[in-house]
Amino acid sequence: MEINEFIENLADQFDDIDVASLTPTTVFKELEDWTSLVALSVIAMIDEEYDVLLKGEDIKNASTIEDLFNTVKSKQEE
Amino acid sequence: MELSEYETLSKYGVTLHLLTHDKIELLRTWRNHPKIQKRMEFREEITPEMQEKWFQKISTSGRDFYYIIEYQGKEIGCINIRDVDFEKGEGEPGIFIWDDDYLGTDVPTRASFCMGDFVWDVLKLKREVIHVLKDNKQAILYNKQKGFKLSPNQEDVYNQEYTLTAEDAAKKSKRIKAFLLKENNL
Repeated sequence: MEINEFIENLADQFDDIDVASLTPTTVFKELEDWTSLVALSVIAMIDEEYDVLLKGEDIKNASTIEDLFNTVKSKQEE
Repeated sequence: MELSEYETLSKYGVTLHLLTHDKIELLRTWRNHPKIQKRMEFREEITPEMQEKWFQKISTSGRDFYYIIEYQGKEIGCINIRDVDFEKGEGEPGIFIWDDDYLGTDVPTRASFCMGDFVWDVLKLKREVIHVLKDNKQAILYNKQKGFKLSPNQEDVYNQEYTLTAEDAAKKSKRIKAFLLKENNL
């Protein structure tokens, strides 16, 4: 599991976002296009792509994309 | 339709409770808070008398359905479909989240899908019509993501009308609904 691929998958959940504008340190909830629907779409994507079922709290507790990536990674290793 | 069957809607990780009289003061407190009030067209202070009158109207109209959103045992907001016109097959949905902890999380959308099933499958409406203040960018973005489209001749209106058809709602929600059904073993 690579962070660049994770960022690309995350970007796909937005209607219109330049993937180049996203980095591991991006605070994703501060993105202009971030909404509750995108949050749920990200949870669905993580289930589909990484076979990890995140809870709302996991999204709530993550600040940056890297935080989210690390959460998914640690759950994969459980 | 027998409304008593739909006093509680529980799906996708949230529970919606039909608004009862004992909750109208709680709702009034939420609704009068500046953070909620600023996003509403009606921004005057709602008095207990106004709230009582409003509740009598909505609880007997047969056209207004207001639910308190409960998530993990906490009451976090309110979701509704109001002014339902069964002949036209349309109504106006609304939602507000009181608890800031859940803004920008998946929870409001879970509530919205739960309510959506009631709107499309039980009330059998053909479309939802909403009015959003032109400067409420976040609400416009969210509703466009859900599939709402600006109605004709609304470009210069401050409180703009958007419409979502049942077909567009189903199309836009297909992937996430599939995930929610799987997640909740439905």
